[in-house]
Amino acid sequence: MPKRYVGKNIYKVDAQDKVTGKAIYPDDIYFDDMLYLKIKRATHPHAYLRRIDTSKAEKLPGVVKIITAADIPQVKNFGLIIKDQPVLVGIGQKMRYMGDALAIVIAESKEAASQAMGLIKVEVDKLEVISDPLRAMEKDAPLIHQDSNILATHYLKKGDIEKGFTQADIIVENEYRTSTLDHVPLQVETGVGIYDEESGVIKLWVATQWLHDTQADIAQSLGLSKEKIRIIQPVIGGAFGKKEDISVHLHLALAAMETKRPVKLTYTREESMIAQSKRHPFIIRMKTGVTNKGYLTACQVEVIGDTGAYASSGLAVVHKGMYHCTGPYNIDNVRGVAYTVYTNNTYCGAMRGFGTTQMAFAYESQMDILSCKLGIDPIQFRLQNAYDIGSTTPNGQRLTYSVGVKETIKEAANIAAWKEGRP
Amino acid sequence: MQQRTIPCQYFAPQKIEEALGILFRYGNEIKVIAGGTDLLVQYYDRLYEINHWLDLKNIKELKDIRINKNQMEIGAMVTHTQLEVSEDIKKYFPILGQAAADIGSPQIRNRGTVGGNIVNASPAGDLLAPLMAYDAQFRLLSIQGEKIVTAEEFFIGPKKTILEPAQLLTQIILPLPSERTYGSWIKIGKRKALIIATITLALVVEMAEDHKTVKDVRTCLGSVAPTPIEIKEVKKKMVGKNFNQLDFAELGQIVEDKISPIDDIRGTREYRKDVAKKIMIKALEEIDSACGGGSYINE
Amino acid sequence: MNKLNIELTVNGKKRKVETTTSTRLLDLIRDDLHLTGTKEGCGKGECGACTVIMNSELAASCLVLALQADGADITTIEGIGNDKCLDPVQKAFIETGAVQCGFCTPGMILAAKKLLEENPHPDEEEIKRGISGNLCRCTGYQKIIDAIKLAANRLSSSDSGRGEKDA
Repeated sequence: MPKRYVGKNIYKVDAQDKVTGKAIYPDDIYFDDMLYLKIKRATHPHAYLRRIDTSKAEKLPGVVKIITAADIPQVKNFGLIIKDQPVLVGIGQKMRYMGDALAIVIAESKEAASQAMGLIKVEVDKLEVISDPLRAMEKDAPLIHQDSNILATHYLKKGDIEKGFTQADIIVENEYRTSTLDHVPLQVETGVGIYDEESGVIKLWVATQWLHDTQADIAQSLGLSKEKIRIIQPVIGGAFGKKEDISVHLHLALAAMETKRPVKLTYTREESMIAQSKRHPFIIRMKTGVTNKGYLTACQVEVIGDTGAYASSGLAVVHKGMYHCTGPYNIDNVRGVAYTVYTNNTYCGAMRGFGTTQMAFAYESQMDILSCKLGIDPIQFRLQNAYDIGSTTPNGQRLTYSVGVKETIKEAANIAAWKEGRP
Repeated sequence: MQQRTIPCQYFAPQKIEEALGILFRYGNEIKVIAGGTDLLVQYYDRLYEINHWLDLKNIKELKDIRINKNQMEIGAMVTHTQLEVSEDIKKYFPILGQAAADIGSPQIRNRGTVGGNIVNASPAGDLLAPLMAYDAQFRLLSIQGEKIVTAEEFFIGPKKTILEPAQLLTQIILPLPSERTYGSWIKIGKRKALIIATITLALVVEMAEDHKTVKDVRTCLGSVAPTPIEIKEVKKKMVGKNFNQLDFAELGQIVEDKISPIDDIRGTREYRKDVAKKIMIKALEEIDSACGGGSYINE
Repeated sequence: MNKLNIELTVNGKKRKVETTTSTRLLDLIRDDLHLTGTKEGCGKGECGACTVIMNSELAASCLVLALQADGADITTIEGIGNDKCLDPVQKAFIETGAVQCGFCTPGMILAAKKLLEENPHPDEEEIKRGISGNLCRCTGYQKIIDAIKLAANRLSSSDSGRGEKDA
């Protein structure tokens, strides 16, 4: 099969549908008697829900039903790795970030649903808002979930770090911080759901990246078997990791079951910003040792990844970031620790690079600083430390093929017309 | 499904008089819509809150750019695209055209209007500093009559103007400048397109007949105060002086010292003050080279 | 809410539609006319996914009231070309790989088409300015620019560029 495509210009299979506007994205699906959903979200980033009054909103013409946690006692938490996200926050339960859902408004029109949202009265008991992961890690910080705010600690060890720093002539230690990022896929979270009473099957047309994991998670949350959840993947308007997590799915399923009518839920862009996953902001403390001849000897790293209110892929992202602490450079002695920390910020999950992009900012900055201190051209410095076939990564993986970093660096320098220290 | 008891109405009259009558009748209860590029953003997901619309799209005379004796009259419904491409604007008020070209995107420039930009009165409104720099006056009409005000009088705060509910901004009046007038427009923002300005500067300098002596100056900035402002101290320093003997750094410093911007998501106070000085110097240099680069030759 | 009647021309066809004072042109196009090639990406005129050609000008249909379009002439992506007869711009987008997730594509094509109508030989800067109201988040800008250049070349080199049937 590769022979048919390699080296040839192949048109995307659905390009023609996309250039003619025929491609069907989830928000493009309509049913005649379709209802529209809106989600009433947290009114405070860290608070107990004391009271929610939907009576006024329910009386608004066009409003069909408003679902709160009291209506769905059997529904369980969901989450990609840890089931820590509530489908709806109930009375006496906690909202942990501004995206937590408090109620599902179901109406005959988008407009009625929007209007009804403003009529829902929410009372809360406020708690300290933790927006800084360093505060979250302090002993006296209030707990965001039941256990420690440090959701996970991962360690990394390769070689002998003390020996590595002893061999070093120059040691550079710095702290790097990266910021929260939204993926901003051009299409927001959106989907349509239908419940078939006869078969008990919930059909969802949703933009989603992990069809089968999502199916399993929805099933466990609703207490249904997986066959009862059918997810149909229409065309996706960009995802970049943001659509790995559950977004509209469970709310659509619950509303479809409740009303027995087709339902549609499309986030606003603002809602997508507030409620759906982000790239983890990292605090990276990195200490790197190098010999006078410009050979790296040791790298010690501490990573604090703010995963926000919920775990999502956080544990995997943060420790993967740590594993990449040396970048594509040979360092025999490595030690690392990575903390995945809960805060009241919007939860963070997968985003292109999965932790490695944040780490690249730290190790490449270290490389520049070191090359400057050494007085070696930064390209040369990188080339003499770069991976080859046979190199071993910090987590012990021996690279046996496809190691193109040196060619890549050379080509990049070439394109940038790099000459001794300057492009 | 009846969601509202008040019947919703949409008016799109063809005559200004009709529009004024509707405005008088509805006052605060009606929203005037021109291009809609600010209003629909402001009312996103809550358009249902507006029961009555007065759309000016059918009033032809509001869409004209015309020269009337020694002044230019720009209809309130003239779009940014119209300003950008108008030969008369290029000739007499080039930096107004440049500012219009820097607004939003093609989609926004085609719909957004000069009147809307003025009435919206955002401190960052791109056209406001240039209009002020060209001594713009605004014609406000109501069924009670006409009132003509200067830009300084019109803007009283962020998104606040003296426009009364029954009044309509119909025209922008600009005195035609002399041929010895030079302008420079600088907009600083995080992107080239679709960006709300961090700071804007419109500098207009009129030379005396010797082409050397500064006759008049207007130094206007946006996004550094609750309204667009003129730095009058610059005028004091420049008028009567030979342009190529001016100390540009000193003039930049005056601009920096006289503004008191705030920190916001687009930039800090410190950044804005620093940049204000630099763009003032750059604007002066641009005018310097436009009018002969120090060796001014009589035309 | 009371309904108001409007009449507009969409992709060459006269349409009579009942609408409301709070309906946007975008909602009318998508929800009432079911021309779902026009997308909503932000609802605030920032992304250009909702771009249409309104009275021969590019417009963000999320920033236009349906009532403002009473009497207007609207072209959506569905009016540009179809499977049997692709527009040269559409064809160029396919061939250069300018289409990824496709969500920006309809708006991008309309912006490109409008640009080439007004300026048949745009340079790279002019192309960038022409599509400056349209965001692509798969970051395929380079190929989009390549596609517009290709379309421009084809349109100028042959009069038969329009309406090629071998899509």
